[in-house]
Amino acid sequence: MEDRTIKEPIRKKWIWVVLAIITLGVVPWYFPDAAAEPYILGFPLWAFISAAFSILMCGYLSWLCVNEWNIVEDQEEAERAKGDKS
Amino acid sequence: MNDLAFAGTDGIIILSAFAIIMLLIGYLSGRGDKNLHHSLSGYYLAGRNLGFIALFFTLYATQYSGNTIVGYAPTAYRTGFSWIQSISFMTIIIGIYLLFAPRLYVIAKKRNFVTPTDWIDHRFKSKAVTLLSIFLMLWGLGNYLLEQLVAIGQAVSGMTGGTIPYQIAVIVFVAVMLAYEWMGGMKAVAFTDVMQGIVLMIGIIVFLIGGLYLVGGNFSDVTRYVAEIEPAKTAVPPMEVNINWLSMLLLVGLGASIYPHAVQRIYSAQSEKTLKKSFARMAWMPPITTGLVFMVGIIGIMLFPGLDKTGSEQLVGLMANEIAAINPFYYWVMIIFFGGIVAAIISTADSVLLSFSSMLSNDVYGKFINPQASEHKKVMVGKVCGIIAIIFLLWIAWNPPGTLYEIFVLKFELLVQVFPAFVLGLYWKRLSGKAVFWGMLSGAILAGLLTWTGYKTIYGIHGGVLGLGLNFLICIAGTLLAPAVSKSKVLEEDLSAINLKA
Repeated sequence: MEDRTIKEPIRKKWIWVVLAIITLGVVPWYFPDAAAEPYILGFPLWAFISAAFSILMCGYLSWLCVNEWNIVEDQEEAERAKGDKS
Repeated sequence: MNDLAFAGTDGIIILSAFAIIMLLIGYLSGRGDKNLHHSLSGYYLAGRNLGFIALFFTLYATQYSGNTIVGYAPTAYRTGFSWIQSISFMTIIIGIYLLFAPRLYVIAKKRNFVTPTDWIDHRFKSKAVTLLSIFLMLWGLGNYLLEQLVAIGQAVSGMTGGTIPYQIAVIVFVAVMLAYEWMGGMKAVAFTDVMQGIVLMIGIIVFLIGGLYLVGGNFSDVTRYVAEIEPAKTAVPPMEVNINWLSMLLLVGLGASIYPHAVQRIYSAQSEKTLKKSFARMAWMPPITTGLVFMVGIIGIMLFPGLDKTGSEQLVGLMANEIAAINPFYYWVMIIFFGGIVAAIISTADSVLLSFSSMLSNDVYGKFINPQASEHKKVMVGKVCGIIAIIFLLWIAWNPPGTLYEIFVLKFELLVQVFPAFVLGLYWKRLSGKAVFWGMLSGAILAGLLTWTGYKTIYGIHGGVLGLGLNFLICIAGTLLAPAVSKSKVLEEDLSAINLKA
């Protein structure tokens, strides 16, 4: 029962599969040589896509921290609430 | 950074103001807390009570040092758009934290860990593994600290146009750092980081705005210019650069997350919620820190074309001169920004020094020399040894080696070898101490040899990553051949996810 409430990122495979896919998107190994143009917001096409994947990585990791990590938070918050009351 | 337009009296005034504020914060952090100097966790971990603001800024200011600006902008200048990798390799650190920080936080709090070695000692109960990991971590930290000392000297002497010479600059600011750290420990380090981090963030943004203003406000024009005069800097990177990029993601991600001072910030968190929130915000910092610095470097190509390697190292100073000349607002922001760079270097140095001292006092002295010593005595030993180490490093800093970036890459090579022991140990019950020891040693020897013989990378892969690969291989193969049989109930409890909550 208790195990169900624990969220530990390392135990969820999908987290790492998605991170690996994003990482492969960040590194521009898949672009043909012609992908330097057009320029988007001043970035060569390949650099723009790489930057977009980097921002996606920021958002994804930030989201994971908040939503997929919960081991002792409930316990700590409950103790703190108890401490505040007494 | 020589001959800055604002070098001289104004620079000295701002630097003195920063120094006074840091000392004041140090004094206020330590005042009224009598237990601070009598408890290892009180002095080195701020009583494990860092709230969100302090934890976030201390993570930020520790991870982003002056080198992020002074060293990364020239690298972007020299390598072009492929340096956009600096956003991803600073971001991936959070991903690596997610591999181990959640569990480590819980165990560290339960078992009252002070240093990363406490976990290794607790996990493997092996003198050989503990000593080797202490050595590798102290080596990494010493190297890191040396880099910061060199950077302090260069930044201050550059900012004051040589009015304050390199040697004096290093001595004065190291004295300031030692003083506030002595007074307030981790608490002082974290609170000075709040000031240092804010100045750095604002400074980078204004620096980029000023740079863009100088090139006519359009970044696309800059790219077009770069494509015309140096097409290789905007072209799709060749395969070797891509491999190097992936290698850099591994090296920095694994190396920076396992930094002893970074691990100690996990220990210092007030609660899991605070730690999660800080990491969640930290994940957004690379685009607005290394990303903006990267753009500054690219703009530099248009502002100062054709600089050689040594010339490009001066890029931030050259640009600051131009930006300061725009109007009085930019002039003063540039002075404050340069003060911020100095402060950022110090904020990284202070965290490293604190961690260095904690390992000397808790691990070397407390575990091997005098385990019976009182916590007060251990704290004192750490403080004094920290000063001795600084004096030794200062002696080396008098003749600074290489460019900043080269020093930066070198320190990861050995430090990262602690990673398998640290992280595999958290999840794999049968992981054997012997396999860990030989893996760590072989990885360190391979990485060290490759570096010393000049093979920093092989097909774009860093020596440290190759060493780490060998290290993992030995750890896994060694354990499969002769798995460890643990009889420790305590360890059994720590390594079972089901028990984490208890």
